[in-house]
Amino acid sequence: MPENTSTEKEKPRIGVFICHCGSNIGGFVDVKAVTEYASTLPDVAYATDNLYTCAEDGLNNIKETIKEHNLDRIIVASCTPRTHAPLFQRTCEAAGVNKYMFTFVNLREHCSWVHMKEKEKATQKAKDLVRMGVARARFLEPQEETRVDVTPTALVVGGGVSGMTAALSLANMGFPVHLVEKDKELGGFVRSLHALMMTTKSANETIRPLIDKVNAHKNITQHLSSHVASVEGFIGNYDVSIGGDGAEPKEVKVGTIIVATGAVPLVPDGLFGYKEHPGIITSSEFEELCNKKELPRLKSVAFIQCAGARGQKVSYCSRICCNVAIKSAIHIAENRDNILGVTEEKAAEAGEAVEEPAAEKKAEEEGSERRRRRRGRGRQAEDGAGEEGAAPSSGVEVTVFNRDVMAYGVENELEFNKAREKRVKFVRYGPDNLPKVSVKDGKLEVGYFHETLKMERTMPVDMVILSTPLVAQPDAATLSQLLKVPLGQDGFFQEAHVKLRPVDFATDGVYVCGACRGPADIAESVSQAAGAASRASIPLANGFVQAEALTSVVDETKCTGCGTCVEVCPYSALRKNDEGISEVIAAACKGCGCCGATCPEGAITMTHYTDQQLLAEAKAALEEV
Amino acid sequence: MKKSVMVIGGGIAGIQTALDLAEKGIDVDLVEKLPSIGGRMAQLDKTFPTNDCSICILAPKMADCYAHPNINVRTYSEIKDISGTAGDFKVDVLKKARFVDEEKCNGCGDCFKVCPVSLPNEFDMDMRERPAIYMPFLQAVPRTATIDRAGVAPCSSKCPAGLSAQGYVALIRAEKFKEALDLIRRTVPLASVCGRICHHPCEEGCNRTDIDDPVAIAGLKAFVGDYVRQQGEDVPTPIEEDRKEKVAVVGAGPAGLAAAYRLALKGFKVKILEATSKPGGMLWWGIPDYRLPKDVLTAEVDHLLAHGIEIEYGKTVGKDLTLEDLKKDHDAVFLAIGAHKSLTLGVPGEDLEGVVHGVDFLHKIADKETVKIGKKVAVIGGGNAAMDAARTALRMGSDVTVIYRRTKDEMPAIGAEIKGAEEEGVKFEFLASPVKIQGKDGKISAIECIRMKLGEPDQSGRPRPVPVDGSEFTVEVDTVIPAVSQAPDLDTLGSKNLAVTKWKTLEADPGNLSTNVPGVFAGGDAVSGPASAVEAFAAGNKAARYIEKLLNGESIEPEPEEKDEHVITLEDIKARMKGEITKSERVLRQHLPDDKRRTSFEEVEKVFTKEEALKEAARCVSCGPCSQCEACAPACGPNAIDYTMKDQIVTLNPAAIVVATGFDMWDPTAASEYGYKKYPNVYTAMEYERMINAAGPTGGHIVRRSDGEHPKKLAFIQCVGSRNPQVGHPYCCSVCCMHATKEAMLAREHYEDINSTIFYKDMRACAKGFNEYVERAKSDYGVSYINSDATVQENAETHNPVVVFDVGGKQQSEEFDAVVLATTLVPRKDTVELAKKLGLKLTEFGFFESPDSILDFGKSGVPGIYLAGYCAGPADIPESVAQGSSAAAKAAEVLANSGGG
Repeated sequence: MPENTSTEKEKPRIGVFICHCGSNIGGFVDVKAVTEYASTLPDVAYATDNLYTCAEDGLNNIKETIKEHNLDRIIVASCTPRTHAPLFQRTCEAAGVNKYMFTFVNLREHCSWVHMKEKEKATQKAKDLVRMGVARARFLEPQEETRVDVTPTALVVGGGVSGMTAALSLANMGFPVHLVEKDKELGGFVRSLHALMMTTKSANETIRPLIDKVNAHKNITQHLSSHVASVEGFIGNYDVSIGGDGAEPKEVKVGTIIVATGAVPLVPDGLFGYKEHPGIITSSEFEELCNKKELPRLKSVAFIQCAGARGQKVSYCSRICCNVAIKSAIHIAENRDNILGVTEEKAAEAGEAVEEPAAEKKAEEEGSERRRRRRGRGRQAEDGAGEEGAAPSSGVEVTVFNRDVMAYGVENELEFNKAREKRVKFVRYGPDNLPKVSVKDGKLEVGYFHETLKMERTMPVDMVILSTPLVAQPDAATLSQLLKVPLGQDGFFQEAHVKLRPVDFATDGVYVCGACRGPADIAESVSQAAGAASRASIPLANGFVQAEALTSVVDETKCTGCGTCVEVCPYSALRKNDEGISEVIAAACKGCGCCGATCPEGAITMTHYTDQQLLAEAKAALEEV
Repeated sequence: MKKSVMVIGGGIAGIQTALDLAEKGIDVDLVEKLPSIGGRMAQLDKTFPTNDCSICILAPKMADCYAHPNINVRTYSEIKDISGTAGDFKVDVLKKARFVDEEKCNGCGDCFKVCPVSLPNEFDMDMRERPAIYMPFLQAVPRTATIDRAGVAPCSSKCPAGLSAQGYVALIRAEKFKEALDLIRRTVPLASVCGRICHHPCEEGCNRTDIDDPVAIAGLKAFVGDYVRQQGEDVPTPIEEDRKEKVAVVGAGPAGLAAAYRLALKGFKVKILEATSKPGGMLWWGIPDYRLPKDVLTAEVDHLLAHGIEIEYGKTVGKDLTLEDLKKDHDAVFLAIGAHKSLTLGVPGEDLEGVVHGVDFLHKIADKETVKIGKKVAVIGGGNAAMDAARTALRMGSDVTVIYRRTKDEMPAIGAEIKGAEEEGVKFEFLASPVKIQGKDGKISAIECIRMKLGEPDQSGRPRPVPVDGSEFTVEVDTVIPAVSQAPDLDTLGSKNLAVTKWKTLEADPGNLSTNVPGVFAGGDAVSGPASAVEAFAAGNKAARYIEKLLNGESIEPEPEEKDEHVITLEDIKARMKGEITKSERVLRQHLPDDKRRTSFEEVEKVFTKEEALKEAARCVSCGPCSQCEACAPACGPNAIDYTMKDQIVTLNPAAIVVATGFDMWDPTAASEYGYKKYPNVYTAMEYERMINAAGPTGGHIVRRSDGEHPKKLAFIQCVGSRNPQVGHPYCCSVCCMHATKEAMLAREHYEDINSTIFYKDMRACAKGFNEYVERAKSDYGVSYINSDATVQENAETHNPVVVFDVGGKQQSEEFDAVVLATTLVPRKDTVELAKKLGLKLTEFGFFESPDSILDFGKSGVPGIYLAGYCAGPADIPESVAQGSSAAAKAAEVLANSGGG
């Protein structure tokens, strides 16, 4: 709290400027009467009305009268502080009055615009509002804004595609980055995949350039096989301890932190006969088999979507699984990269013709790609594909049992169309009619309810691929506690605002991206990662953070160190000092007042919104006039 | 040098990019095409899955953006041209004139109330109207009004006096009659008069001409002049200034009156010297009562003179006093003596008894003198004077033939006059020219004419009449009224000092109407030769302007005439109105019955009644669309309105560019299976969104277009135009499933008795909290979901839409009260043009392309240019925000690596 409160001792000299706002206020409120009334209020040294207080002459009027009448507190009664407070505050400062000695009374949105048909009552209410403003203004105190230096270095937790992208972006902006990855190499979940959508390259080939760039960047310090062991401090000044496999923890100082720890696939224990037959696998296991070229001979494959999701083990839709299944289905249908592992000899043995697209055939197919994307496929055709139609070119029948095909956007939907062109069947099931996987005579079959025929059917298959949802990392909770950032009910990290702050945490200085905040595909994760880098770079670039002087203040003599305030603060802006007493990190405090309201000892007050100020305002509201 | 970044598009993605960059000290130019930032998100009522009020969470960001010292928000601006490379782009930005000073306007909206123009409000999906000066929505940023002025209406542009015709038509339409008259008077002092007799080039220009018929602009002017006078509201304007300088005006015709009026309003002492006994010049002496009743003229002139103008009748300069005398007593003189001297035919026999020159004939009639004419009258000429003479002679009981040397098409008289003459029984002898007036005993017996044929066009652009040898013929007549032309009577004026042209008119500088004698100005017919009243008014106005300058001691150097404003064409209007211009029949003025017209001098064309006038004014298509009525400037407290503002090109030098231009909604009208625009109760999702918004066109009420009732059964149809290769959008828009779910929930929040059904292909509720949101819609809001394609028919009796769908292979149908269509979201229509300027590639569906859409989504094909939001492909709000930040990071990287920032 600032020491210099000399004005406290002197009698306040309040100036009140009441705005007509053209006819917006003046048309419905008797502004002259309100001005006259204001001049009768205690400590009001000057009151006047302006046609437009925000206009050049209105602002000059404020500046001049501050000098002329030696005013030390200013009230403007006009429109909304949201748009106009900074303007009037600047005007006050230009005339030598601290900007916290200014207060706003909203006569337009709060009064004239809502009482257009009752001029007298509106005038009375305007008087009440001005009286309240004056009552509060008497107790205003000048404030100084806190400025905290920022260590221009970042920490990125997680070395997957998201973490790498974020680290690289910050590094490219010129900031040193510590990149912590628990695995012994970079790449994250994608490294375990076989193939991706929208590219003929393998997953590993696709992300290789990114890994190379990270490896080559001089601003990035990698901490592999490591984890964040402890975090102390606040925005701009974090002391982070990075633990490694048996190695001495490394201490680093960073200004901002990005969480990019990714997610893991759900293990569908107890669902759809998982583990009961070697042919029942998860989609991640399918990727591994493809990678190892160990897929068994297949004639018929069934994907079961939402295996564990949308109300089974987790309530949410995991967003990416349909598109992963579509991709895999197409690859099986095309025998892309010979994933089916069928050599020509083997095929000849089995007396089957396996179609391996010849070079010219491939070119022809690409030529027709554009036409196909344009043409797509009607929805009606899809239902027909449920039962009949020729098998895909690889000779393997592929069926995707789904609830809704989440092929959102452009590319996913086009792939969905392509899969249907390739004779992949999509069979819808309802939440009350889950497909049943059973083993009969050592053979797999899938039982399902045919929506059109309204009857149960079974389908013999060689393999059942369960599309399981992504779930939070097992250690997400630990990290959330270390960083004092929240997890949502699904265990993913919870961003500050679901719409407008997708990569921020409510706590300043910590940011989030990628699958650790919820299932996302690579392109989305990458966008979020660069976005988080942008957000995290702001304090680093400025070199300081400046907070409005609207913060809580702890009275050390009253605080008992119960820690309630530390618990309730949504911004991690309170901590206990060495003596066990609460202290406010002004740079992190948003002035929300939760701590002040909760403190059992009444030891916490809010600057600029003191109890004294608010009570005076409330009392003034209730005064009989 | 400090480097900056340009962001194109001020929606949520662009705002995010701008804020991210600005917060770390980088200068940003945020270029937005519309008058406000905010983009599509500002149009939304709520946002899924939290049902946060959209504008409540967006407006603070808009305000932050505008207030940020590092962000220059350039609204109403477009990219014109771009060159250069990453680190050093040069971008020409067209800052369109909004005619309102952003610094001065405080967004109070006082101007909106006075604007007479009503236009569809695009922000409200055209579901209500807005004025031509407007803010697109309450929370617009900047809180600055914009005048929607694409150019000048052709009617206003064609007026010789420069009167804003669209302006007074708009004011009349808004029943602001006094304001309309005031506007007219600023250019044309005699509204009732001008409205009756003007040849109205404004109407020829009217863009309605090619649709049906032009708006009766002149008729409306006559109406408003009469109406305000009849209401007793036509009181003289108080004159604020008092000037001691004296000005003499010679001639009380339209030019003299106009000049006198202007100068009197400025406070000068004005004296008119009129040679005759009546005011009006040709208006009094040349135009018969059946076109312009004398009481109308008198009333309007009296009103004009009431502005402290002195007038002396029977004073002829050159006879009663000299120009030199006048100069001695006055600080300036304006000569507006008109052209009252009839020109002769120059054929033998013109001195015979029975030859009466047109102007003299009409003058005598006006003076109520007895004029003797015969039974068979020939009128020579095709101008208005000829028509007036013919129709007057007809009313005196004669058989009248007009002899004109060209055809009807070339006649200079106004159409109504020719038509009137024909209706009344005047005969016409076209392509004939008199060669001799034959007489007997000093009296006329016949007129001998020669047949003409049309030759090459002459100077006036009309085909030159050429005599046909040997084609002479005679017409038996006893009276000939030549009405070919008039000239000023310079002999009477008798000043040797004044320069005269070879056409025997006064010589005056066309730029400022000064004559060779200092302090003496001249204008009207005396300078131009016989012309229209409206041209004379214009001359009077001009003379007054330069006389004032002279008396102010300013230079009278002619000002350059500015005529560069784009004249609105029918194509412009069709583009603005999306092709929907409805035909509307012109309101015809009541006419005096033909039989009465042959015997009476009563006014033929009756002035509009108020009802007729309002109906006719409503036909105006608001070309401008601003009508240039100039009502808003006086209403503006802070004087923020500036009609002289011009479009500007600003050249900026950003190091990197972020494109975030968002999306448009596909118009489903062409997909007739959904019945949009065919059935009244079928809405698009964005129309519905505006309806449920408390600040929207229905104040938050869901109403049926057919009857205003609130629907109880709502159907939502998904993928209208999307996932549909037939209409070129095989893709999924990504947001409509959740949007429809939200809309259905909000319906229930607004009315407990609404039940909603959503017809969908796949319910793509696939981001954080979305599946739970859909489950909540089902369980808590009673929303039904049916997995089917759907089309719409209608119960014609109730106007209830009938949804036809398919469940389990069986076609079914169900009647609803209203249907909401989730239409495809498509790239903004100017994306192609912008892409061309920026050198960017588009995907096959018109979105900006990211060549590496896996690892570097948002990086365009051009180094230094990045993409964010829906313009790069379907994305919801948080994705757009993340992409906005992502683009900011990429731009910041460019700055970090190009030595600046």
